[in-house]
Amino acid sequence: MKHPGEATLALYAGQDLGPLARWRTRRHLARCARCREEVAEFSALRTEMSDLAELPGISWNRLAAEMKANIHLGLAAGECVRDMRTTTQSVFSMFRAAVAVASVTVLLAAGLLLERPAPVPVTMVAAQPGISLQPTRYGVELRNGHQAFVLKNSPAVDYKDVTYSAGAQGSIGARFVDRSTGYVTINTVYAQ
Amino acid sequence: MRSKWISRIFGIGATALVTLYAQETPLDQSSIKINLPSDAPIALVSANMGGSNAQSRGSATVLDLHMSLTFQNTTGNTIRGVTLLVVAQEVTPGGKGGVTLPAPLNVEPGQSFTMAVETQLMRPGRTNGGPLVQVDLDGVLFKDLHFYGKNRLDSKRALTAYEMEAQRDRQYYKQVLAEKGPGGLQQEMLVTIAREVSRPRINVAVRRHSGPAVSSAAVSGSEHLAQFAFLNFPDAPVEPIRGSAQISGNEARTPDIEIRNKTHNPIRYAEIGWIVRDPRGAEYLAASVPASGPSELYLPPGRSARVLQDSSLRFTGKSGEPVPISGMTAFVSQVEFENGKIWVPDRKSLQNLQLLRVLAPSTQEQWLMDLYKTKGLKALVEELNKF
Repeated sequence: MKHPGEATLALYAGQDLGPLARWRTRRHLARCARCREEVAEFSALRTEMSDLAELPGISWNRLAAEMKANIHLGLAAGECVRDMRTTTQSVFSMFRAAVAVASVTVLLAAGLLLERPAPVPVTMVAAQPGISLQPTRYGVELRNGHQAFVLKNSPAVDYKDVTYSAGAQGSIGARFVDRSTGYVTINTVYAQ
Repeated sequence: MRSKWISRIFGIGATALVTLYAQETPLDQSSIKINLPSDAPIALVSANMGGSNAQSRGSATVLDLHMSLTFQNTTGNTIRGVTLLVVAQEVTPGGKGGVTLPAPLNVEPGQSFTMAVETQLMRPGRTNGGPLVQVDLDGVLFKDLHFYGKNRLDSKRALTAYEMEAQRDRQYYKQVLAEKGPGGLQQEMLVTIAREVSRPRINVAVRRHSGPAVSSAAVSGSEHLAQFAFLNFPDAPVEPIRGSAQISGNEARTPDIEIRNKTHNPIRYAEIGWIVRDPRGAEYLAASVPASGPSELYLPPGRSARVLQDSSLRFTGKSGEPVPISGMTAFVSQVEFENGKIWVPDRKSLQNLQLLRVLAPSTQEQWLMDLYKTKGLKALVEELNKF
């Protein structure tokens, strides 16, 4: 028997599934005790979470409102982009060939100038005097002129799950739970 | 029609050119050197460097080194922390890295563990062959707080402090479990997760240099001397007396804090936690300010000393926007006595001063949160019941 995913069960518990998915999940739950138990746990967790809204110091309602506002903002932005595409489609078709040639020419020139594309985190910037340290999306970077040394976070870790900390003596650390090893790992880069 | 053919020819040419230059050169094990002393308490079982490569990029070379190093605990003592020193001296003179597995690491005698070391180096010109990165064992901390290692990264103190914080927070959650049961523990864990999710975050770039602070172009403002406000823990061995830093827009420079030893024991290290406040009143943990740097601190009982670091910190938000500083607070976050004993604030003090909402979770809390999120309450309870 194929079981619904954890996310589906959680959404079912919160009555957030669409009609078809809800119907399919309900059918599955009717004959699967294990999944029913999981749904019950999710429901219990939801009740506890609503209790937590009463705890001082945590504004759950504010967080929820902010998240909703962000979602609405994202949807509105998506609508704007879609409208722009519709209006510019006919214009684009008129210049398709010219744009294609120009794009390829730019690509060729870039290839000649830069030798190769660079899907790597280190960014090329103008050399600056002194040693600088900064957290990046990929880890901690030490830069000294045109030279750079990066201790990268585990590729299996989401950037949002990394805790960065700075030391005023000249160090930055990145702390995360490394999925590949299972351990809390701290990468620290020191400038001296 | 004609333009279509022209674009195709250009496309094929460009693709061929890019492919020609996009070739990566794989790097083998000779690119790294791993130094383990003969009397080291851990032995290297395997070193995997799969996927490591060198790429040309303009006039520079970018080297990606992926190391997966498996070690074995060859002693009869449980290991609670390990630090590796990573140096690429040829590429970044003046810089070095440390990869640490802190407590709650718990490697029993004979057990193996893996450390991932992911580095990227960029240097002008081409590689000349030979080791690019050197990995040394900097330190190992055991369950009985015995330490082994060269300690070039001050690993002994750092690993011991992680261990103290881990014990403190493990004890706290064990106590919650004992008093309130699994339901109470779950509620406490949800509060911890919520606190971590809502914790204000700030990006801090550090620069070590002498000279005036350079203000960000986006935030103007003349440099001025700002005073620290202090949060005092009643049981802290040292007391902050006064302190200041140069502030210019979103940049702070040269923190200077005076502390006094309140105890009857000499102190050789003290660390100050530095909190900054933006004009909207949001507070962020900016950095830690160690009282000892290259030269050792020695603070006899009753005496005072200055915590001074010549560096500048630049603060930006998550989208890279400058975050101006309107206020600063400091507190004593760690103290090491001459006899090697470490003091860290207790849980009650952190809670009373509302520091938990600003501070990052300890390594133990981070581990327990991850365990709860990935494996659930049952696994969390089992973990806390282990020891």
